[in-house]
Amino acid sequence: MTVVLVTMGLAIVLLAALVIGLLRSHGEILRALHQLGVNLDEPHDTHDHSFTNTPKLRPVSDSAPPDIAGTTLKGSAVKVGVAGVEHRTLLAFLSSTCSACLNLWNELKSDPTAGLNDRLVVVVKGPEAESPSRLRDLAHPEVTVVQSTEAWEEYQVPVSPYFVYVDGPTGDILGEGSIPTWDQVRSVIVQAAADRAVVTQAMASGVDPELRADIELRAAGITPGHPSLYPTSMPIEGLEDEEDES
Amino acid sequence: MRIRADGIDVDVPRGWDAEIYRQREATIQSMGADPGETDAPIMHLANFSLPPSRGDWGSGAVEIMKSDNIFIALCEFGPESVGKALFARQGLPRVDAADFAPHQLQRTLPGQSGTQYFFTHANRAFCLYVVLGSHARRHELVAEVNAVLDTLVIDPA
Repeated sequence: MTVVLVTMGLAIVLLAALVIGLLRSHGEILRALHQLGVNLDEPHDTHDHSFTNTPKLRPVSDSAPPDIAGTTLKGSAVKVGVAGVEHRTLLAFLSSTCSACLNLWNELKSDPTAGLNDRLVVVVKGPEAESPSRLRDLAHPEVTVVQSTEAWEEYQVPVSPYFVYVDGPTGDILGEGSIPTWDQVRSVIVQAAADRAVVTQAMASGVDPELRADIELRAAGITPGHPSLYPTSMPIEGLEDEEDES
Repeated sequence: MRIRADGIDVDVPRGWDAEIYRQREATIQSMGADPGETDAPIMHLANFSLPPSRGDWGSGAVEIMKSDNIFIALCEFGPESVGKALFARQGLPRVDAADFAPHQLQRTLPGQSGTQYFFTHANRAFCLYVVLGSHARRHELVAEVNAVLDTLVIDPA
């Protein structure tokens, strides 16, 4: 009888230790996910924290990135120039709910420039989707915030947070993607600007078109041996559109 | 791209900033009216980045203007101003380079020039205040100002 009791006691202790270990592991996973900006309470907020510094060489024309029109957090009608201006603009598409966005809002409270030399414009969805009073609590008064669902659609923003970096004089998009922290934003902006300078310099010096293509590919992060240069299958017509809609 | 609010509608050129908002108390006081007498709308237009915090007459914005920059403020006054001598001029004005002078600025800044017109349009009383980044370049900049003003539509009171 004593042996049975001791054995059962040992089994209970072992099981308890196993459960505690599993709970601790679960907690560490959740904490790591949170640091990466993933909130499991928001199943629709899928983050793809990648940034593509792909120079889209387009002149300022009808195809240039559109200016941002909408309302301020006080309800005024507002329009912000993006292309055809002397400076570069970082459009930060944020929401008031995603956990990564909240961190970005909080950092802007202490530094409304986010440490950037370029113009920063925060774009949130319109009043039908985002509460202006909630956003007023989050936003620093010195930060330009525009509520515009139309801008989200025009820029085809897939997730929040999402950033689009626009060169004003040329209307080129220097890079875009989802980035969870201002530190990373500053880093990729410096990289995008440097890459852009390389391309601009090559074009100004009349580089051979074939070499120019190489330079542009390198600026886009596509180096020799890059997987995108060797597709394993032919693209399926219409698949991309379906994915965008989903 | 057009923006519209409070019966004011304007086509804002690509790259320009614009906002139509309700008047702040500071403006009403500075113009001699009683605070709270009106919260009439104000429109700001600029061919440079407008800072979020700025005065109704452009303070906070005009200080960062370059020589080729333009700032336009259209400030409405209350209905009690309609019919007063100050607003006797009828119709939307077109600006004239000869009307600009550095001393007409709300705040004098080196090189800049300004002008203002009080007028009544659609039974509404307004002041149009324009600042140019360079008095020397007023002839070329005035053409840009008038091109924008030509698109301005104001609904009747």
